Amino acid sequence: MDWPPFPCAAGMAPGSQKGFAMHRRRALVLFVNSVVALIGGGLSAILGAFALRPYKGAEGRWVRAGALADLTPHVPVARVLAISRQDGWYRERARETVFLVWDGGKALHALSATCTHLGCQVRWDVAATRFRCPCHGGVFDAQGNVVSGPPPRPLARVEARVDGGEGVLVRL
Amino acid sequence: MKRAFDWLQSRTGFRGARHALLDEPLPPGTGWFFTLGSVLLALLAVQLLTGAFLTLYYAPTPDHAYDSVRFIIGTVPGRLVRGLHHYGASFLVVALVLHMVRVVAFGSYKAPREATWLSGLALFGLVLAFSLTGYLLPWDQRAYWATVVTINIARLTPLGGDVVAGLLQGGAAIGALTLTRWYSFHVIFLPAGLVALIVLHLVLMRRHGISGPVRSHAGDATAFYPWQAARDTAVIAVVLVALCVFAWNGPPPLEGPADPSDSTYIPRPEWYFLGLFQLLKYFPGRWEVVGAMVVPGVVVALLVLLPWLDRGPSRDPRRRPLVVGAFAVGFAAVVGLTALGWRDRPQTAAAAQTWTLREIGGRRMSQASGCAKCHSPDGIADPLEAAPSTRGPEWLAGHVVDPEMIAPGLREPPAPAAEREVAAIVAYVRKLSRQAYPGFAAETETAATIYARHCIGCHVIDGEGGKDGPELSHIGAKRDLAYFTRLIADPEAVNPDAEMPGFRSRLSDADLKAIAAYLESRK
Ligand code: FES
Repeated sequence: MDWPPFPCAAGMAPGSQKGFAMHRRRALVLFVNSVVALIGGGLSAILGAFALRPYKGAEGRWVRAGALADLTPHVPVARVLAISRQDGWYRERARETVFLVWDGGKALHALSATCTHLGCQVRWDVAATRFRCPCHGGVFDAQGNVVSGPPPRPLARVEARVDGGEGVLVRL
Repeated sequence: MKRAFDWLQSRTGFRGARHALLDEPLPPGTGWFFTLGSVLLALLAVQLLTGAFLTLYYAPTPDHAYDSVRFIIGTVPGRLVRGLHHYGASFLVVALVLHMVRVVAFGSYKAPREATWLSGLALFGLVLAFSLTGYLLPWDQRAYWATVVTINIARLTPLGGDVVAGLLQGGAAIGALTLTRWYSFHVIFLPAGLVALIVLHLVLMRRHGISGPVRSHAGDATAFYPWQAARDTAVIAVVLVALCVFAWNGPPPLEGPADPSDSTYIPRPEWYFLGLFQLLKYFPGRWEVVGAMVVPGVVVALLVLLPWLDRGPSRDPRRRPLVVGAFAVGFAAVVGLTALGWRDRPQTAAAAQTWTLREIGGRRMSQASGCAKCHSPDGIADPLEAAPSTRGPEWLAGHVVDPEMIAPGLREPPAPAAEREVAAIVAYVRKLSRQAYPGFAAETETAATIYARHCIGCHVIDGEGGKDGPELSHIGAKRDLAYFTRLIADPEAVNPDAEMPGFRSRLSDADLKAIAAYLESRK
């Protein structure tokens, strides 16, 4: 298949394409093509960098997650925390569940409730003293280590500390 | 490689398309003046591309538009892309005008190219419509107030002005519905029309061939590619480099968030509307419609009719003195009006002069009333100074009185704040959203705090405050420091009939001195 020829292309004199003109033509083609490529490349670079704007994770902030007095040793307690998170230009008021695990003494840690397999939210099974994931049967112990099932990694640790011997703060 | 192209050729016939697109024969003597159309095409391509990419981050709602634009210009590529799009619009207008001047000078609108000329005029109108609708999108002060003016001008349309204005405004006032409306004009309807018109314009241009030089030159026709294409490319490269310099140097200015309650803002249009803006000033009152509609309407009508007003066979400008002369006069008038508008454009006052005492006073109060507990670099919210707030005054007042309203369980219980303190803190935060704190002397800050807490109920300074007591804006010209100190401490000792309460017990000596010294300085 071919496009119809240009109607008055016949007007072009073949003589002008010879010799010196041929030389000039090649130089001009090189000039046009390289400048167009340069402009296209420059624009693509700018627009590409713009579109692929690197995601900058927000600095974690300490959030009050409850009081030590409410915790029972070795029993993870779920806390739904409201955090304000910067999502690009949007300040989001997100909710996130963390489990507070206290050993009854000085040590306290917090675990993210997000399963490391595909992101479902795990629950604490009191009878079995295990975290269970409802999605594909992942099981974790109270420290967050994988006991069985598909999850590839232990539950993520969330930084936690006791504030003045009373309040519990976690960093989200 | 050759085989791959042969295969592609057999399936698509791309070589024929390339031939049809690039090998157009041009009349001998076609020169640099004929590069402007290609420049326009390149600039439009830049606008379409950068515009499409800007929509990756832009959000067309009053609550988020400003924040999203600020987010866009927060990185170097973002600043560049918005810069290209912003200044590209100005470049487009300049190139359009030059292209039109060339067409008029060369008489290229003459038969058989009348339709090409009309499609070109329509394209010009579309580009201006792009510019108007795009101007609102950042939702900053400049955008908002320019749109107020635009819609009010549209309201002047004889017969059905309210319908036109309603169509543009969308809702009862300029707000969310206006913004989404202008956004969809800007990114859907206008681009669709633009692309269609460009195709039409180019098809017509190819159908009749380009008009070429005014007098025919001897010689053969040459192919567009690469002979004329090289000139086009050279000019385009220069123009785009210039555009990049603009985009790189001046980050497009973003003013404070749109604030419909701000009565001090003076609207300014984009520079290429300054002429029209200036014209309005010469037609006050009920004659306004003449400046806004009649004069521009006549100009457009003359342009539309140009191919039929100038029907002589010659395209040589020297043989068409009337048309060329009239166009030159009109062009000079537009340039002159634009220059006058530029000269008369409102000057922005120095930053420090625009701060009212209440706004200054709010700073210390915000520091004292525990805002920094949360609004600090490692607190749960951004510092007040770090990010301008796009919230309205009611929201801010509610938040100052009770931060927990916004974030239950997240924040410290608020320090109880008096009504005037709340008002001053709100004023300070809102001012911050428009302008960084310029910094004032410590005594001025002290005096401002005292004024905003105690005096503002009864005394006006710079147009703000209660009217029960005398205005104090220029009180320093009448009284001196010692008088103020005595009077504020114990008014009845100075004037037995004074209604003003004494402040000796409520102000420390240093505070008393600060406010008295400030009043003395108000000459
Ligand atoms: S998501 Fe938890 S086991 Fe699959």
